[in-house]
Amino acid sequence: MMRRAATNPGTDRHTGPVQQVEDWPAERLEAGSPLVPPPPGKQVLMQVRALTKAFGPRRILRGIDVDICAGETFVILGGSGSGKTTLIKHLMAMLTPDSGSVVVDGLDLAKATPEQLVEYRKKMGVVFQNAALLNSLTVLENVGLPLTEVEQRPADEVRARVVEALRQVFLPADEILDLKPASLSGGMRKRVGIARAIIQKPSIILYDEPTTGLDPVTVNGVNELTLQLQQKLGVTSIVITHDLDAAFMIADRIAVLYKGRFIAVGDKRAIGDNPHPVLRQLLTGSTTGPLTEDFLTAKKPEGAPS
Amino acid sequence: MLAEVGRSILHNAEIAGRCLSLLGRALLALRHIGRGRSQIVRQLDMAGFGSILVLCLIAGLTGMIMAVQTGSELEKFGVLKNLGAIIGATFCCEMGPIWAAVIVLARVGASMAAELGTMTVNEEVDALKVMSIDPVRYLVMPRILALMISMPLLTTMADFVGLLGGALVTKAQFGQPLRTFMESAQGLLDGMDFYSGLFKSLVFAVIIGTISCDQGLATKNGAEGVGRATTATVVLSIVFVLLSDHIMNYILLKVITPLMGLT
Ligand SMILES: Nc1ncnc2c1ncn2[C@@H]1O[C@H](COP(=O)(O)OP(=O)(O)OP(=O)(O)O)[C@@H](O)[C@H]1O
Ligand SMILES: [Mg+2]
Repeated sequence: MMRRAATNPGTDRHTGPVQQVEDWPAERLEAGSPLVPPPPGKQVLMQVRALTKAFGPRRILRGIDVDICAGETFVILGGSGSGKTTLIKHLMAMLTPDSGSVVVDGLDLAKATPEQLVEYRKKMGVVFQNAALLNSLTVLENVGLPLTEVEQRPADEVRARVVEALRQVFLPADEILDLKPASLSGGMRKRVGIARAIIQKPSIILYDEPTTGLDPVTVNGVNELTLQLQQKLGVTSIVITHDLDAAFMIADRIAVLYKGRFIAVGDKRAIGDNPHPVLRQLLTGSTTGPLTEDFLTAKKPEGAPS
Repeated sequence: MLAEVGRSILHNAEIAGRCLSLLGRALLALRHIGRGRSQIVRQLDMAGFGSILVLCLIAGLTGMIMAVQTGSELEKFGVLKNLGAIIGATFCCEMGPIWAAVIVLARVGASMAAELGTMTVNEEVDALKVMSIDPVRYLVMPRILALMISMPLLTTMADFVGLLGGALVTKAQFGQPLRTFMESAQGLLDGMDFYSGLFKSLVFAVIIGTISCDQGLATKNGAEGVGRATTATVVLSIVFVLLSDHIMNYILLKVITPLMGLT
């Protein structure tokens, strides 16, 4: 608790009640945050405009507008199931929008040719939420996969770079190199996934909950790694996380996803001071508020005791 | 009811279309065959050589059953000496390739679909794409190729074991010397039967490989979907193997044989 307060002065995440919902009719609650121009001296790398996506009848993304700048660390917060993973899958062109667009460096991902996508993805590293390691390959083969399959590097160079990448995520290379993912712990798999994402020294890294399931020391290590990559190599990072400390530690800007829109986008200070009830609830972890409202006021099945 | 039939036809047409495009892309990926060496070797390991024992058992038993059945008929007409040719022809043209296909689709095809299905569900395939690794080149092409190498070998083995089974039974049951049986069968090897059987087994390999990879990569809905992909692979493969067998027989009889006769 102390550390939380220390890393995040200026916000009162643990005090103060969630703002009265009456002041916030649904329209205002769900309204998207207006698009702000990039900070001076920053270049826009990704432009997301009016992005919508539905799976069947369920409208998951309902109009995302955001600019992500080159070299910034952009953190996405949001309740479970709010569509964070769905959003970043659009950024890696694994999903195509129902409407709207994602434009990266002038390239509209939905209209790009397969060759253009290959080139685009070569600049990108992705840490999947479930690590997504290939189960039939060893750790060495998994982490080295982009080097052997895409860059076609010789085996000894691959091995050296794999060992280095594993060291960066605090994994004992000599113990695990020849193991299959199935015999690693969840936290180890996650870190092997991170090692795979950084091994090609990508200029854009997407992290989908990189620190979930890791011990506090490793969490800090991974956060520091993210910072280092940004500061030393100018990597653009987009980080989905449920870890508020991490968010406030690494973020240049934070965005909050709620009901398919970014209801707030801004730097740490702006987010910390933002009175939006959804944001307050996310930051305090309170069980009363708009995030749980739908659930509490949902119709009880007939005959159920009230 | 009618709507359902229509929907199922559409669904199958969609699968067929998808398979054809997948096969096309796999053929294109053959350009990178050198880079896929380790994958191909890995797949060869799983591509049916583990099924040799079962296949031998089934082929041998079929040969024995056929020898008893056909032999007792032939004996009535006093043409038992032709038994070897009949069993040989049946095995080389039909039984060998079909049994090899059935065993391979049930064991290898199903497990390929399950493996690729699990990979799809676990986002491993997405991860490959994000790393700019083409799943068709990395996953599909080596699998189809491995089957194309293993199937003719398995077929040849089935032919041989089937014949052997037949020969042994003929000797035990009818007292015909092994040599007579084998000499009668040998007449075939300069004929088309053996090679047409091998050609069929190549086609079957392509069918099984393409269907199982397509079903695996199209898997949705978690573990349940993996189960469904596996079942669909077995059913679709059997249907298309038999269908293509029929078509190839037709072509062989109506087109190729007359052509050969002319020359
Ligand atoms: N391929 C899909 N088909 C159907 N529905 C999907 C699909 N992918 C995601 N969804 C739905 O979209 C919603 C958002 O999913 P998503 O994975 O983006 O959430 P998330 O914000 O990443 O949640 P978490 O924090 O739990 O990871 C979920 O309700 C999910 O059921
Ligand atoms: Mg997610």
